[in-house]
Amino acid sequence: MFLKQIDLTTALRPAYLPDEDLLFVQDNVGLYEGKYKVPNQQNGQVYLTSHRVCYVDKAEPRKHSVALDLKDVERYEFYAGFLKSSAKITLIPKATKRSSLQPRPPGITPGTGSSSVTRTGSPVRAPPMKPPPASTATWVCTICSFSNPVPSNFDPSTASAHTPLPPCLACGIKPTLAHILKASISNATSRQPAPTLYTPLPVRPRPVSEFSAAQISAPGLPSTPGRGTNSSPRTSDPDASFQCPRCTFLNHPSLLSCEICGAPLISHDLPAEFNQQARTETDSPGPFLSTPLSAAAHSLDTPESVKVSFRGGGEKIFYERLKGCMTQRKWLLQGAPPIPRSSRSDSLGGNGTGTGADAGTGSPVERVKVAGIAGLERRGQAMRKNNELVIGSAFEDLEALMASAKDIVALAERFARQVQPGGAGGSASETALLAESASQLGLITTKDIVGTSGGGDSLYLSELARNLAEFLTDDGRGVLKRAGGIMSLVDLWAVFNRARGGVELVSPSDFEKAANLWEKLGLPVRLRTFKSGVKVVQGKDRTDETTIRALLAWMKDLHEFPPDRDVEWDWREFGRGVTARDVAERFGWSIGVAEEELEMAEEKGVLCREEGIEGLKFWENFIDTGEGKSRPNEAKESHDKIMKALKEGGFL
Amino acid sequence: TTSPGPFPFPREYFFPPFFTRQTNLTTHHAQLTKWSALVLSYCRHHRIFKLPLSPASTTTGTSTTADKPISATPGEDLFYSPKINRRLSLVDTREVINFLKKDGRAEYVAGGDKEGDVVWIYWRTPEEWATLVEGWVEETGQKGSVLTLYELTEGEGTRGTEFHGMDSELLQKALSVLVKRGKAQIFGQEDSQGVKFF
Repeated sequence: MFLKQIDLTTALRPAYLPDEDLLFVQDNVGLYEGKYKVPNQQNGQVYLTSHRVCYVDKAEPRKHSVALDLKDVERYEFYAGFLKSSAKITLIPKATKRSSLQPRPPGITPGTGSSSVTRTGSPVRAPPMKPPPASTATWVCTICSFSNPVPSNFDPSTASAHTPLPPCLACGIKPTLAHILKASISNATSRQPAPTLYTPLPVRPRPVSEFSAAQISAPGLPSTPGRGTNSSPRTSDPDASFQCPRCTFLNHPSLLSCEICGAPLISHDLPAEFNQQARTETDSPGPFLSTPLSAAAHSLDTPESVKVSFRGGGEKIFYERLKGCMTQRKWLLQGAPPIPRSSRSDSLGGNGTGTGADAGTGSPVERVKVAGIAGLERRGQAMRKNNELVIGSAFEDLEALMASAKDIVALAERFARQVQPGGAGGSASETALLAESASQLGLITTKDIVGTSGGGDSLYLSELARNLAEFLTDDGRGVLKRAGGIMSLVDLWAVFNRARGGVELVSPSDFEKAANLWEKLGLPVRLRTFKSGVKVVQGKDRTDETTIRALLAWMKDLHEFPPDRDVEWDWREFGRGVTARDVAERFGWSIGVAEEELEMAEEKGVLCREEGIEGLKFWENFIDTGEGKSRPNEAKESHDKIMKALKEGGFL
Repeated sequence: TTSPGPFPFPREYFFPPFFTRQTNLTTHHAQLTKWSALVLSYCRHHRIFKLPLSPASTTTGTSTTADKPISATPGEDLFYSPKINRRLSLVDTREVINFLKKDGRAEYVAGGDKEGDVVWIYWRTPEEWATLVEGWVEETGQKGSVLTLYELTEGEGTRGTEFHGMDSELLQKALSVLVKRGKAQIFGQEDSQGVKFF
């Protein structure tokens, strides 16, 4: 299963696929590859969705965030923490798709663990690397001494009595297991430049930091997934054409099976960046991979299992959700065929040929093929009927829901009320039961997703903050843009809750707390408090200076254009005064925001106010043009003179 | 005395916000400064010694002396700008006056801390007037001679001087400064006072 780079939204959360639901979030997690820590992914948040598990790094979210698809996960294990080692959940990947070319030995039991599955038939290898002995080993038939190839998916380390063995190609006698084992082992050892490294896994070119010398092959390999390692640093070296191991025909390097005899080829087709990295021996206690995951992600080979280490708790809930997720397999729905429609045996029966049979069997497919206008009309009619049916059937359920909606709401309320009297004294089991029943009713709240362990509200609030930021910067909705780039917190709260559609509304206090977190989380929006206490939300790049500049530029323009009616002052010199309403109109702000911005500009000394019969207007500040600053105060001057004289006279 | 001609108002006089009390402190200070300068130069131009603060006080006319060169309504168009139709409110006017007071350039005629409707605008302080008078006395060699106050302000001899046509009360203030300095002596009773310079 790949750990691949993912896209993040503006709020630094993983961009979801269509139909993907978020199930759980947990912060303070780290990633492991097999046994070793992944260097740049040690502190971040993990998001469990219905399709993927995503990791968003805390330090450099855009560079080091990765995800893996749940459809690649074969199984998962849970490891409860012990002393200093935190709880971990292991995700073990399935074999890669290349194996479809190989006949999968049906007898390989799951009991041998996932490692065998991963090993089956991935033919991707670097030529200079030790190829798995399976694909090029040959065994000599004891009866007819014909040299047969050992099946490529044959793995000496996990072969057992149940492993099906192909018979000899010449005489048809099945060999003994031991015979094949011997052949493959001797093949391996004779071929290898370096000793001791029998790699049970298809040797990956991935830069793995250590090779475990202990992983010497033997039948009955330890059940932990073995490490693929390099025996020495190598670089890939694709040949111009590749020689088939069986028939020595020179195939094109990117072929997977020989053109003549069909034998599987060790592919030379490797991505360019397929470089062997020098193995570095690290002796850190949590062994690290020598290079970050991004280089490794290019590997086509089956990667190691991935572990998620929960340093801040939340592993139990994650495990439960993961279980549910894997059983549900929502990702399959994406490729699922459309729901079969109810048979339309009444549709256009009797028209054209073959419909008699159709009507009889109730086939929903319209097979009338009449050319010309009649056919077009019929098609149009058919489409309309189809639409009618679809809409009708879709809303059937809705009516049913509406009928029982009242009951469900009453039920939910009852549950909620039951918790209340319990209050603080309520037992944990009650709340758990309540949460379960609430979730079963489909009333999942973000609080459930986030979990109520440990940090309590903080994760909820940070997620809410991110949610808000996404909502604000979502170009599709253009909330912030429509408000002129700046909107008051109250307005935003109203819009946000309305958009939620009546489910899971946010309380004002939570909203404000989440808004305060924007700055800390480095999100692209920020909360700004005006002098009068009004809080507004604006993009991070918008500062007082930019606003003032915009205002002044606009007001300077007013010097150019004569006002609509005759005014008493010299508009060419002074421009004209603007009211909050004018400003709001011009910039698209709300009136409250416009007033605040004008006052802010006045505070900065850029504007001055005028209170007249028409109301409060703001002008460019021609009163204080900076000359007064150096004007000395006469009284002060004379006072200073006196002091100086006294000092000189020695009186002071 | 020639009519001083129309007073050249500064640019701010035609700027509406100038007549609104600013809330920004910096701007407000600048506003007060400019108003003070305007008041002083206006009064200097029109030789207004006592400024009525509200239109009501002009009608009583007690402080307007006949020999003052008349502008249409002294002080009337100082705080009211007819062109833009803006007026500085009384409260704000008092603020300006208080600002001038701090500089020593204004004083309420009512005296003491009482705020009246008429203020002395010292576009020349009494001390400055005293210096002027003394200088003139020096120049014309009148030291040791006795002069009446009336002579000083209205006499032929003082034509062309700055203090010709000056408000007699103000003259008295100036002379008392000289008295304090020991340069002069005032005697006589009301309405016919004389001064002797040393």
